[in-house]
Amino acid sequence: MKTHTCSVSFSINGEKKTFATRPDEKLLDLLRREGYKGTKYGCGQGTCGACTVIMDGRAVYACLLYAMQAEGRKVRTIESMGTYDKPAAIQVELVAAGAVQCGYCIPGIIMSATALMETEKDITDEVAKEYMDGNLCRCTGYEKIWVALRRTIDRAAAAPAQEASVKRGKK
Amino acid sequence: MKRHELAKHLKQVNTSVTKIDAMQLALGKDSYVADFLPKDALVIKMLWSPHAHARIKKLDVSRAEKMPGVKCVLWHGNVPRIVHCTAGQGYPEPSPYDTFMFDNKVRFVGDRVAAVAAETEEQALEALEAIKVEYEVLKPVFTLAEAMAPGAPVIHDEPEAHVPIPITYEPKKNLVAHVACEAGSFKKGMAEADFTFDQTYETPYAQHCPIEPYTSMAQMTPAGRILITTSTQVPFHCRRIVARTLGIPVQKIRVVKPRIGGGFGCKQEILLEDVTAMMALRTGRPCLWRFNREETFRTGRTRHPFHIRLRTGVKKDGTITAIALECINNTGAYGGHGLTVVSCSGGKTLPLYHCDNILFDGKSYYTNLPVGGAYRGFGATQAFFAIESLMDHMAEAIGMDPLKFRQINHIRPGEGSPIFQALGEGREGLPMTVGSNALGECITQGAEAAGWEKRQDWRKKTGRYRRGIGMCCLMQGSSIPDIDMGAATIKINEDGSFNLNVGATDLGTGSDTVLAQIAAEELETTTDKMIVYSSDTDMTPFDVGAYASSTTYLSGEAVRKAAADAKRQILATGAEMLGLKAEDVHCEDAHVLSADGSKKVSYSDIANYSLYQKNQYQIIGTASHITKKSPPPFAAHFAEVEVDTLTGFVKVLNYVSTIDCGTAVNPTLCEGQTEGGTLNGISYALTEEYLFDETGKMQNASFADYHIYSMRDRPNIKAILVPSYEDTGPFGAKSVSEICINGPAPAIGNAIYNATGVRLNEFPFTPEKVLAAIKAVKR
Amino acid sequence: MKLCEFVRPESLAQARASLRKLGPKGLPLAGGTALHFMPGKAPVTAVDLTGLKLSYIRQKGAFFEIGAATPLSDIQRYRGARWAMHEICRRISTHQIRNVSTIGGNVCRVFPWADLPVVLLAMNAKMVIYSGKMKEMGADEYFSSQPARLFRGGDLLAAVKIPVLKAHHGFGSVKAARNAAAFSMVTIAALLELKDGRIAAARVAAGSAIPFPKRLPSVEAALAGKEPSAEVFRAAAALAGNDAKWCKQEGMSADYIANLAEVSIVDALERAAQFASGRTK
Repeated sequence: MKTHTCSVSFSINGEKKTFATRPDEKLLDLLRREGYKGTKYGCGQGTCGACTVIMDGRAVYACLLYAMQAEGRKVRTIESMGTYDKPAAIQVELVAAGAVQCGYCIPGIIMSATALMETEKDITDEVAKEYMDGNLCRCTGYEKIWVALRRTIDRAAAAPAQEASVKRGKK
Repeated sequence: MKRHELAKHLKQVNTSVTKIDAMQLALGKDSYVADFLPKDALVIKMLWSPHAHARIKKLDVSRAEKMPGVKCVLWHGNVPRIVHCTAGQGYPEPSPYDTFMFDNKVRFVGDRVAAVAAETEEQALEALEAIKVEYEVLKPVFTLAEAMAPGAPVIHDEPEAHVPIPITYEPKKNLVAHVACEAGSFKKGMAEADFTFDQTYETPYAQHCPIEPYTSMAQMTPAGRILITTSTQVPFHCRRIVARTLGIPVQKIRVVKPRIGGGFGCKQEILLEDVTAMMALRTGRPCLWRFNREETFRTGRTRHPFHIRLRTGVKKDGTITAIALECINNTGAYGGHGLTVVSCSGGKTLPLYHCDNILFDGKSYYTNLPVGGAYRGFGATQAFFAIESLMDHMAEAIGMDPLKFRQINHIRPGEGSPIFQALGEGREGLPMTVGSNALGECITQGAEAAGWEKRQDWRKKTGRYRRGIGMCCLMQGSSIPDIDMGAATIKINEDGSFNLNVGATDLGTGSDTVLAQIAAEELETTTDKMIVYSSDTDMTPFDVGAYASSTTYLSGEAVRKAAADAKRQILATGAEMLGLKAEDVHCEDAHVLSADGSKKVSYSDIANYSLYQKNQYQIIGTASHITKKSPPPFAAHFAEVEVDTLTGFVKVLNYVSTIDCGTAVNPTLCEGQTEGGTLNGISYALTEEYLFDETGKMQNASFADYHIYSMRDRPNIKAILVPSYEDTGPFGAKSVSEICINGPAPAIGNAIYNATGVRLNEFPFTPEKVLAAIKAVKR
Repeated sequence: MKLCEFVRPESLAQARASLRKLGPKGLPLAGGTALHFMPGKAPVTAVDLTGLKLSYIRQKGAFFEIGAATPLSDIQRYRGARWAMHEICRRISTHQIRNVSTIGGNVCRVFPWADLPVVLLAMNAKMVIYSGKMKEMGADEYFSSQPARLFRGGDLLAAVKIPVLKAHHGFGSVKAARNAAAFSMVTIAALLELKDGRIAAARVAAGSAIPFPKRLPSVEAALAGKEPSAEVFRAAAALAGNDAKWCKQEGMSADYIANLAEVSIVDALERAAQFASGRTK
């Protein structure tokens, strides 16, 4: 049986696109080939998290998924998270905390952290760790990453309250 | 002012400036080797040896060469046979020349057989399957005892194998290196002791596990040169070794190191670049070779396993009268770093405690197992497990608190050790006295943070889960004195920014930032004015690279000197502009000022003046630096563990890592080094190991089976920076990166003892080993 | 295996028809995270099961019904009355895997290290198989050997039904692994039914250190009729060797694993007893 070339359509960082692919191509390879190179190869076995992207709101390993499995879905990569002018809160905190050493794991860490913060409310340490257990880092011992993550979560949790209190103050 | 407060007046150094590349990496911008892959690049795949020891009788690549997409196949029949050493060390290397690009013999499971470059990875893999190899399987050597046995199979029987410097090397006996020394008389010291000890220890294999695997790319430039973009800690050594291996001039090669996804020592090795360069040369196409994770485990470099015998004598009052440290190192199939790792196992450990009678004997042997290399800690990690385990044991025997036993014995500022001179790296070291040393304060602060006073004797503990606290003390070095050299140039731009070009290699540690801070401090400007460009053999001055804890101390001082050179020029031009003499002006806040500050001119104005207006010239400073010392950083580590006495599972609850790294140039980055190295050490102590089958093949070559810690596994780690001031380092700095990995194995081992009363002389402390020891005590 | 074609049926019937037609060349694909463990180059057509609306958890009478394509993270996050499935799901692999890997994928092809079959055996779950119509099969029969035998004609697992535990039921599971994301060295699950302070019935299952997950009848028999206590649990666990021949794991000997299994059985039973007394954490 020959491998057929085929196409897959999905939303990538908010843009609907169609890509030529093959049934055995992994999503990671497609993304990197198409220029989304912030998503990294670390193991190719779904164990290190460097390739983490968000698909329909969930953090997934792009190195395990076949590109065809993304059909009709919404995929987000690190490229959608922020820019020099407007970095995401988690990016700001990671940089400020000194959590970026070699940085190779960091895009994946950001994607998992984003999925965590978009999915859960009142995030306990235990839940946060469960969301982050699929992203390995060998440089930092996770201390600074953890500080940055906790700070981002806590600030986001405090933010609406602050806004509300400001509004009340105006009255 | 107290010595450790000397850094307090500094503005750029001793400040947690944001790491300069952090946002680039957090945004996911193209940064690493594979991110720069041209569209038309070929993919390289290697056929690896399935045998631990075999001669290749026949190798037929003719079918593979004709397969679709295949552009080139390399094997020992079509490449130059040039013996070399893959270790990225100074030249000539203190390591044997025992490696060929391809050989007609394979020496471990995962050794090179033949390489294919093809249009796609799939085509390359298919071509590998079409290569026919006939092996004559030879008897393998898997243990040190087998390697040392008379009549053992000779792993390196090729006539070319030799060492380029006069050191012991006897390949016919599988002996890679032997180094020995004695200070005082060990025998006499043992006779003076009230208690004597004789213990053996085993330390395991481990892999560095950078999240970016080994990755290398090569392409031909329009000028006909080879551009190698590679994930390396040693770009200049890479250029030299690739030139030798391919038999081409250094001039033909440019090595560029982009951002690196971690190294920890494993990328101090020229493991891919010779083949990628040769493929580019043969095909004229860009070629990428990236190890997958399994290859990184099997073929990548590892930490040398050690067999250690340690004998000591101690008096009742705590005086250590004799130490004999005998280390035998399994270097695997090739001998790079075989001598230096074993000599550092003595040189970076034995000066730590006072003792008049010290004997050291270090040997390194070949086996048919994965190849040892440089790994953070570099021999000290292995030896400190033995020394710091036995320190606890000795303290117990004389009835002294193990913390106090270390306090009364550790080296003080102003003291030397005969070991510093006796054990160098490939040659004698330099005599040295310790300048900065805050170990005493490290012990005090660490003990307080770890709650040492609440520590109880293990005999008072009951129940299934038992907690214990253990500690250890450590030292390392900062660069290789008289051997390592780093250099830097710095030039000014119109807006008062500076290009800082350094050979030093940032492999994710943040050294570009640290060096920028040092330059800014010396130049009296701010770190954000520095544009750092590092490690490009065409564009930056030389540096040996990132190893031996050298970058901050050695390359940092080169940067400081280069900045001072530029500053002299800035002062001269500034004085000229102000109509003053150079000796009557000074720099402050990116300006040159008159003595009373009434007249001043900015760096930007000075740059414009010197570039465009009068007596034009480029303000550019350059400097090189070598060191005469390798000042040790010091550390005290404390581990609190909980042992499940029914299953033997050990959980680290809290860990305190103190460190005296002199002036912390960037405290946040120093903490990051310490926390990261400590966690690596913790998983090395508990869960990391190489499991081999009977053929010598690693059985657990994946992150699913080789266990490094995730955020969910991590215990609380508290890093405490204890300042001192090292006069010979830039603004008082010495090294920080390696020392921290040495502590967890002994500290956790000692904590297990404090919890349960069992001492383990072998790690990782697997549940089975811990449980067996507990059961043995019960009996 | 090598994916050469990719089809996306829209109903169970369509999926079954595709798989029947493809025979051994068809590969039912849900999360696909296990394909990594199936090397080789046999060409297959992937039949994507994620469009069949099989991802759900709902309580139906005395059962929780979990759709076969429900990812493990959904089971981990779900909360229902006396719900116990999250305990094991939070211990399986990593977050990204739990987001993709499905309960069906975990039990249709049973890998030696699989945790869910152990739990489902202890829970006495019912497996709902689609063969043109829905039929139910008890976990004991389903896990009597590799379930592939049940799916040769294109039949598919549609759902798993977990009994809603009653007040006198206690459940506990234990996974011993080197770290949070590691494969299990030993997994034990235990369901205790208490009556008048005694164990009326017990289901104890083991996995990972044995070739295929199974119940431990000697252990169960030793518990029946006894008052739950540490000594009773220990005595029962000591009989596990009659039911299972433990294998070496992670470089550790079979003897060690046998000890680990016994301790884990006691721990699982204690958790189950605590669960029955109202503690569900």
